[in-house]
Amino acid sequence: MIQYLIRRLIWAVALLLVVTMIGFVLFYLVPANPAKQACGKACTPEMIARVAHYLGTDRPWYIQYVRFVGRLMPVSFHGGPHFKTPNLGKSFVSNQTVNRIVVNAAPETASLVLGGVVLWMLIALPVGILSALRPRSLLDRTTMTGVLIGVSTHPLFLGLVLLYFFTNKLHWFPIGGYANFWHPAYGEPSGPLQWAYHLILPWFTFAVLFMAIYVRMIRANVMETMNEDYVRTARAKGAPESLVMRSHILRNALLPVVTMLGMDIGVALGGAVFTESIYGLHGLGWWTIWGLNNFDSPTVLGVLVFATTMIIVFNLFVDLLYAWIDPRIRLA
Amino acid sequence: MALLEVKDLKTYFATGDGIVKAVDGVSFSIDPGQTLGIVGESGSGKSVTCLTIMGLNPKRNTISSGEAFFKGKDLLKTSQQQLREIRGNDIAMIFQDPMTSLNPVHTIGHQLMEAVLLHNDVPKQQARARALELLKQVGIPRAEGRIDDYPHQFSGGMRQRVMIAMALINNPDLLIADEPTTALDVTTQAQILDLIVKLQQEYGSAVIMITHDLGVVAEIADEVIVMYAAEIAERGHVDRIFNNPRHPYTWGLMGSLPRLNADVERLVQIEGQPPSLLRPPKGCRFHPRCAYAMDVCRTVDPVLAPVPGEPDHLQACHLDAETKTREAERLLGAFATEASAS
Amino acid sequence: MTTVTAEPEAQLELRGDELLVVENLKKYFPVTRGIVFQHQVAAVQAVDGVSFAVNEGETIGIVGESGCGKSTMARCIVRLLDSTSGRIVFGGKDITKLSRAELRPYRREMMMIFQDPYASLNPRKRVGFIVAEALQVHKVGTPASIKQRVQELLEVVGLNPEHYNRFPHEFSGGQRQRIGIARALAINPKLIICDEPVSALDVSVQAQILNLLKDLQRDFNLTYIFIAHDLNVVRHISDRVFVMYLGQIMESGVRSELYESPKHPYTGALLSAVPIPDPELGRSRRRVVLEGDVPSPLNPPSGCRFHTRCPRFVEGKCDVELPELVTRENLSPTHAVRCHFPLERWPLGDEGMRLDRAASASAPEA
Repeated sequence: MIQYLIRRLIWAVALLLVVTMIGFVLFYLVPANPAKQACGKACTPEMIARVAHYLGTDRPWYIQYVRFVGRLMPVSFHGGPHFKTPNLGKSFVSNQTVNRIVVNAAPETASLVLGGVVLWMLIALPVGILSALRPRSLLDRTTMTGVLIGVSTHPLFLGLVLLYFFTNKLHWFPIGGYANFWHPAYGEPSGPLQWAYHLILPWFTFAVLFMAIYVRMIRANVMETMNEDYVRTARAKGAPESLVMRSHILRNALLPVVTMLGMDIGVALGGAVFTESIYGLHGLGWWTIWGLNNFDSPTVLGVLVFATTMIIVFNLFVDLLYAWIDPRIRLA
Repeated sequence: MALLEVKDLKTYFATGDGIVKAVDGVSFSIDPGQTLGIVGESGSGKSVTCLTIMGLNPKRNTISSGEAFFKGKDLLKTSQQQLREIRGNDIAMIFQDPMTSLNPVHTIGHQLMEAVLLHNDVPKQQARARALELLKQVGIPRAEGRIDDYPHQFSGGMRQRVMIAMALINNPDLLIADEPTTALDVTTQAQILDLIVKLQQEYGSAVIMITHDLGVVAEIADEVIVMYAAEIAERGHVDRIFNNPRHPYTWGLMGSLPRLNADVERLVQIEGQPPSLLRPPKGCRFHPRCAYAMDVCRTVDPVLAPVPGEPDHLQACHLDAETKTREAERLLGAFATEASAS
Repeated sequence: MTTVTAEPEAQLELRGDELLVVENLKKYFPVTRGIVFQHQVAAVQAVDGVSFAVNEGETIGIVGESGCGKSTMARCIVRLLDSTSGRIVFGGKDITKLSRAELRPYRREMMMIFQDPYASLNPRKRVGFIVAEALQVHKVGTPASIKQRVQELLEVVGLNPEHYNRFPHEFSGGQRQRIGIARALAINPKLIICDEPVSALDVSVQAQILNLLKDLQRDFNLTYIFIAHDLNVVRHISDRVFVMYLGQIMESGVRSELYESPKHPYTGALLSAVPIPDPELGRSRRRVVLEGDVPSPLNPPSGCRFHTRCPRFVEGKCDVELPELVTRENLSPTHAVRCHFPLERWPLGDEGMRLDRAASASAPEA
């Protein structure tokens, strides 16, 4: 177990190094001079050089990379080894630290993604199970049509359609933006109700694709499990259908869903980019697009590091959860 | 009185291609404590017969008719609720594949206790004690330490022992064993067969043993039913079936079996494949593969009738008695001479 | 000493014209562990020192329960798996270490038939293509002659040659096994290794396939290595039989010797466990029921591998000393057994298999 965790940790660090290295090289290849951008239009070459020196971009990429990694380390050896907060650097363009950007953006993305996951599971579970119980019934056929539409609709398109009808025409929902869940900020809507109200359309837009995939997957898993020998054994014991369903079918049918969920969180984070752009949520996806448009490598890399770490942590959590609920899995 | 009496049982499945007649008019009875062997190849309807009695066929597309009286109650007409009370309590079942017949996410203790608690209003502690008792009886070593293990921690033979424990935990009157040893190695098969016989004597249960293995039937059955293409071809006491087989299909089965005690250069082979149950052959279902087929066999389905002089030995074949006696003697004679010659 | 010869077992008495010689074949599957760099911590000893020779035209039967290593051994012989050590000599040529290219001419002469006719045929390929594949791989003949050859093969194995355009799912289990046999026969191999070819089939179909295999052997002078767990089937088809347990051969002999006077307690237990389709004989027979399960090949028992389940186990001897597979004074030279205390009689009397203490006391103090 301990060995397993150590191995996962080593792999996580290796993965982070590879991801950031690729990010660094890509930015180095882009023919843009961050110093020039940071300095403004009226800069002389000397000023640009000074800015470049201040930003550190006059050094070769590997030196920059080593410095980047050094800032990222949670320990420092400067003046005796001690713990420190990992530092993602400072944006070249906006006047903020990347840590600040991430701290502000993460709750918006987390609200969107976690809320979306809850929404898609809340709908996919009952619908998938019910259509598995009555294959080829009206419900099943309607569901399967819905699934087909769901998997073939791009969130960008769906988001625009929803905005047009529910906001432009019916004025049911706000045009976009984020309402803080916790602190009421002056002059801005906040609190749990406003938070949910602002996020309903984004959640739906974000969740539809996965909802459709999960309905189909849950339906297939349940149907397959219903034909397992041990389900027949349970019936032969005289177990009533409700018990057969709960204790023998669902326990087994939903095991692979947990694994899929762990893997899909990463994919879903990618999908969040579209939803955040449409609804003007300043989450991690929005900042990534902003950083790319402004050639602001610290922001993009910082968000990348943060998102990768989150995905790794979440996957580890799901693997541990899986080992806990499925007795056949041993972590080694 | 017979423990179970099945009369003209039919089970049809509606499929996309048409009606599959999986069991087509099967009648038999079994007395308390008796062992009935049902032999036949895959698709002969031997498993479906028992699943129908248990009410375990998928409801959606199954049409069943006939009667199955168990202790005076027609199982085909009882409600699901009442059937549930009978299943696992009065009639229990063991399945072929012990690897897949236990739920992988529950401990075997949990699954055994479930069987107790479904039919008895007892505290969990008592159910657990009963589970442990059965595990010991079926010969699980260190049962106390293993009751909380999961199925994947057991070998195939051990899992089949757990299945037997689960089937016998409520002292059933009838145990249906559907190919319980087919998936097991020969030494494990011997262990499991011994165990079933030993426990049957202890508990006094009747046993229906479904198998494709004539050897298994010869070893443990009192009565034997030979099934072919959803019908009974021959039925009788085990000694009569093996010493005086009266149906060409039974001859074919016996002749096609390689034996430990006889050298034959070529096995007797039944030509062709078993028929499709969507469109079974007219007349006798065995006629397309039968070496003795006559004109009458192609049109008239033979009824199951007693062998002359043997009222309890039934067979469904048009062939005349002399030919049968001659052919049966020839077949058995071949085994005997070769056995003594070798 | 009851043992006549005490040579190391790898030394087979060879005449020089054997089709296949397997010498001291071992196959260990490593079990690895490690955080980043994997290191071997143990090995599954699937095949552990198997030696035998196969003559042209004969059928060798290999019996054993699941996990005894018989399938792994077969895969090592045809080089689907690389053996850990030992030698495989085919037609006088050592093929143990040949590269894929060097191996190609030998692949033509050794074919394999598998257990599951459902899984071993590609469901998306037509039967004609499946059978012709080997011909195409080895570049034998023109398209027209290949098609003719395929139809010929289908006819040989008892299928309608017109069906070469059908897919495997259109055939029954027995017919699919016939397709597997046609595929194996396509390029006139010398040796066919049959890995449980009939265990997934119904009895009547099993008889058809066994008869077919015998006919083909007669017509094409084939050599078979026939692997099965069914002792009846192996007896029916084999000239010589090897009994395997936990990666080792426990007993070997000409069919009649091994089945009529088994010497190894394991062979005896296997034979007595087979249900006999004769109620009277079954009732009168003595049965030896082995206790427990086959031990793990990851950590096989010390000394004789069978000692943990053997009714004749003698402490201090069987669990210490690994017996060699050798023939004995009162046995024919073809009959060899790996046991310190072989059975004195067969069939068993009332005392079952128990070791006759008086006899064993006078016998060997090795």
